[in-house]
Amino acid sequence: MKEIFLNPQLWAATLAMATPLALPALGGTFSERSGVVNIAMEGIMLIAAFFAVVFAHATGSAWLGFLGAIIVGLIVALIFAWAAVSLTANQIILGMAINIFASGITAYLLNTMYGFTGTPTDTPMLPTIEIPGIKSIPFLGQVLSGHSVVVYLMIIILFISDYFLFHTNLGLRLRAVGENPEAAETAGINVIKLRYLGVALSGILSAMGGAYLSIGVLNSFNPDMTSGRGYIALAAMIFGKWTPFGSFGAALLFGFATALSMQLQNTAFSKNIIMMLPYIVTILALVGVGGKSVAPAADGVPYTPKK
Amino acid sequence: MKRWRVVLASLLIVVLSVSVLLSGCSSKTKQESTQPQTTTQEAKNKDFKVGLVTDVGGINDRSFNQMAYEGLQRAAKELGVTVNVIQSKQMTDYVPNLTNFAQQGYDLVISVGFMMHDATEEVSQKFPDTKFLIIDSEITDRPNVASAMFKEQEVGYLAGALAGLVEKEKVGKVKGTNIIGAVGGMQIPPVDRFIAGYQQGAKAVNPDIKILINYTNNFNDPASGKQMALTQISQGAEIVFQVAGGTGEGVVKAAQEKNLYAIGVDADQSYLAPDNVLTSAVKRVDVAVYDVIKDALNGNFKSGIMYFDLKNNGVGLGKINKDVPQSIIDQVNQLAKDIIDGKIQVSDKISK
Repeated sequence: MKEIFLNPQLWAATLAMATPLALPALGGTFSERSGVVNIAMEGIMLIAAFFAVVFAHATGSAWLGFLGAIIVGLIVALIFAWAAVSLTANQIILGMAINIFASGITAYLLNTMYGFTGTPTDTPMLPTIEIPGIKSIPFLGQVLSGHSVVVYLMIIILFISDYFLFHTNLGLRLRAVGENPEAAETAGINVIKLRYLGVALSGILSAMGGAYLSIGVLNSFNPDMTSGRGYIALAAMIFGKWTPFGSFGAALLFGFATALSMQLQNTAFSKNIIMMLPYIVTILALVGVGGKSVAPAADGVPYTPKK
Repeated sequence: MKRWRVVLASLLIVVLSVSVLLSGCSSKTKQESTQPQTTTQEAKNKDFKVGLVTDVGGINDRSFNQMAYEGLQRAAKELGVTVNVIQSKQMTDYVPNLTNFAQQGYDLVISVGFMMHDATEEVSQKFPDTKFLIIDSEITDRPNVASAMFKEQEVGYLAGALAGLVEKEKVGKVKGTNIIGAVGGMQIPPVDRFIAGYQQGAKAVNPDIKILINYTNNFNDPASGKQMALTQISQGAEIVFQVAGGTGEGVVKAAQEKNLYAIGVDADQSYLAPDNVLTSAVKRVDVAVYDVIKDALNGNFKSGIMYFDLKNNGVGLGKINKDVPQSIIDQVNQLAKDIIDGKIQVSDKISK
């Protein structure tokens, strides 16, 4: 048992598996803090994962692939925002529609663009980073160093997100819009604009999570390769009480449960019970083991400006 | 505002119906074969319609479903039959997808995979005039269902023996921890037959070898496949056999990053990472699909079970890595011969 926890791979896998959850969870935090429930993150991740490969292969640069994925993710998010915010459509139905669409369109494009052999094997991958100094520390180096660049990017974004949301005027306004849009509007805040901002940020961050899966972890796209991570990210965000660090912590917990289930499979425990671990943790998180979490008051409620 | 909402609603409906359609038949128009129709034989073949329903892995899984699709493509090209594919998005799609083909009067409907057993049983009963082929699962009590079964354990045995010998003689990138691994998708019989053979083959040539066996519980999540393989590598494994469809691509990637070996499955996956794929345990699903289409076309459709094994080239090793010396290849070939001759019996059960 002890050697499992002393195995640096357990902790490295935790971080690697947490990243594609943490990025959309951070995105969801922005979106929901502004009052829009964005369950389309799963679909945005999937579309972004696909276009990351398309752009990376077409340009020969993984970074341009990453950028292309973000732009595509942003466009889908803006379409979602237009319908959800400007046209006050039902956000859940809209989100589901985008997710179904994403699954169909990516499978279709994959076959028409690349044929049944799948995406080209010479697609470039985002670099992995060895942190000088930390790299040579035993254990810690193996845990923290040598990850995809997206993992480190996620950590930087985490700190920026927290600062933005809780220490800037714009962040305060964004939160105000999600709590009480009428009051915010009375105070002269443009509710619609800020909700667009919240959704746009969730699109960008989900797209990064999707691109991480396709060109960060490997260099190819498989249909439905996001495997519901956009939804688990929502759970992480709720468990994290709609805060960046909370979401990250929850993502780490889910990542840890996955990594641990991989390590424990070769021990005496029943494989089937071990494989349920990540899901048990998710359910426990959602039924409120971590204390009561309160959503922003106007979360999911469309708003029509009172002009 | 109101007008826009109507526009949005209509847009949503259109987009959704299109995407549901798109995710299904992706290749209908492509295969309407381009050959000129001159003789009546060709016209008759063209009237013969074959529908293939993939499992959730989809035809781009670079393994199982892709092989089935290749067989279908070959039938379209060489026999001139009309073919169509529906890719299942989730397990609940199996019954509607099979029904869809049967209702449209397809002559032969192919279910790709063990997981479609129940769906195939159900639909084949409702459409007794339609012929069905199921891969990897036994349905014996229907006159209109043929089952293609593979002896995965035989090729698994060869892959295991190769891995065992490579470990024993410390070939190429291997340092000789004498630990190898297998990453399965789900714990289902066709996956376990591969792993059972792998285990026996490795133990036969290298009795002290340790074999790690794990499952990711999915066939289309390469990110988890990669971490699973990295976990085994951290536990000392130097060769990882992937039996996980699309998930397995992550396994190959992990071996490539750590500069160790992976063993591919179903299709010859050497091209994914030529330096790091030791070999592939190839399962000729394409041959099974093609043969059954041909038989059905010529009126020779037989219900019941067909076996594909080493003897009839239904399974076999793929391209072997250039690091492997000829002496090891010879030993593996000898084992293959012994299996064909019945001197070695390979069990299809994993031992503890």
